[in-house]
Amino acid sequence: MVLRLASGRIAVGILGVIALLAVLGPIIAPHDPLEGGTDILASPSAAHWLGTDYLGRDVLSRLLDGSRVSVLGAVQVALIALVVGVVPGILSVYLGRPFEWVTLRLADTLIALPFLVFAVAVTALLGNGIPQAMFVVGIMVSPLFYRVARAATLSVARSPYVEAAILAGASVGWVVRKHVWVKVLPPIAVALANTTGVGFVVVSSLTFLGIGVQPPAPTWGGVLAADLGYLSFQPWAPLAPTALIMATVWACNLLADAIRDVTGEAGRALLNTRTVHAAKEAR
Amino acid sequence: MSPEPVLAVTDLHVHYRRVHALRGADLTVAPGETVGVIGETGSGKSTLARAIVGLVRPSAGRITIAGQEVAGLRGGGWRALRRRGVVQYVFQDPLRSLDPDLTVEESLLEPLLIQGRPRRAAAERVRELLERVRLDEDLLGRLPGELSGGQRQRVTIARALATEPRLVILDEPVSALDAANRVRALEFFQELRDAGTALVFISHDLGSVAGVADRIAVLFQGEIVEEGPTREVVNAPRHAYTRLLIGSAPTLRSARVARAEREELRELLRTNGGPA
Repeated sequence: MVLRLASGRIAVGILGVIALLAVLGPIIAPHDPLEGGTDILASPSAAHWLGTDYLGRDVLSRLLDGSRVSVLGAVQVALIALVVGVVPGILSVYLGRPFEWVTLRLADTLIALPFLVFAVAVTALLGNGIPQAMFVVGIMVSPLFYRVARAATLSVARSPYVEAAILAGASVGWVVRKHVWVKVLPPIAVALANTTGVGFVVVSSLTFLGIGVQPPAPTWGGVLAADLGYLSFQPWAPLAPTALIMATVWACNLLADAIRDVTGEAGRALLNTRTVHAAKEAR
Repeated sequence: MSPEPVLAVTDLHVHYRRVHALRGADLTVAPGETVGVIGETGSGKSTLARAIVGLVRPSAGRITIAGQEVAGLRGGGWRALRRRGVVQYVFQDPLRSLDPDLTVEESLLEPLLIQGRPRRAAAERVRELLERVRLDEDLLGRLPGELSGGQRQRVTIARALATEPRLVILDEPVSALDAANRVRALEFFQELRDAGTALVFISHDLGSVAGVADRIAVLFQGEIVEEGPTREVVNAPRHAYTRLLIGSAPTLRSARVARAEREELRELLRTNGGPA
């Protein structure tokens, strides 16, 4: 469906390349991403295509090697937000008052919780590591997803067409699958695209607390943070990690828009007219 | 000639928090009969309709649909009853009662698939339904936004007929239609009645109901104040409110009821709710 739109094809293409990097990156890296050298802060050359960093490590290798951790982290954040935010958000409309009340108060609590305190507490309880760090981020963004999903569900739950389905004997599951999900998906897809971008940056910002990715292990966000410290020597250096993060976030946003366009009523109408035009031209 | 009624409502009360919206309504519909329910905004006619199909919980009273007592039913019981497709409901606003993201075909398939019919048989049935409401098959792939108001209303009626109901509740079915489509819809309801489907036709407009209904019940402030054969109610109304309704109909007839008389009737209703 998404592939019928040009923007959808571009987005899927870029995300496909990123996924490929995540799988193959550590294998095709030309140098050891952790091995330093005497040649520090070097400009791009045949040996080091993107130069070296402040410890003489090959930047290209560090970006390639860090792609798996970065992408997996962002995906994990998105999945946690979906499960912890979107699912209760939809169900809060249908499972009755007690469930609604409890989940609403939990969402309020999470919004009020200071991020760093929560991060430190989780690390103390579950130990230090990337999954734990991404768990923290996922939980912290889930109230947003809860709210968005709940608002979208509420807006359709009392509509006459849902009542018509109920009068035909539809179960809650049927109503959610056939009517609610399509209305919830577009705003969720947009929020998800944004969150993925935030995820990359947050992974590196947690590093300074000693949480999540431990130096010297590379991530895109980590490489970017390190480059920013040496701007006066290599003002161009942040461009490479920035380009990677931006391309991913942009592709996510593009995909979100494409999903919105093909699932929404406007998009369906658009595709219909295109099909009609195509049919006319074929004649 | 008294077969089991398809719908029997006895002493039905509905409260919305403090508001007593329905105060002991009684209504009986025999198989194949068409009963008009008329009343103004806030008289409780939609509440009555929604209570019959279980969208509103009555606070007291009995509702029997095809012999089954339904007023005390909970979620599962209602679902089972609805899946049998005995009662269907046509909403007032055809645009809002069709999912904007579902094509005409998907909307019409829905009640059949919920019943658990195989997809191919259901698709065949959808084509029959379209023919019955005189819609073109080309419209199957369209979204509600791409249809005209009259076409949309015919889709919602086709959806209501999908399960071959014995009783159809029409909640202000022609209020959102223009004059030409209104006449066509009313003709169609007559055909439906002739085919043996019982109808409860709810409207604020006596003129729309009078041509279709065998009997008319007049709702006023949550009570049925008058009920009888259509001809009697229209020609010899007993209750002051009915007389006011007929007198207020925007037709040439209304010229006969003088303005002074209408005001007199209003005054009468204000003071004592009117004589029985």
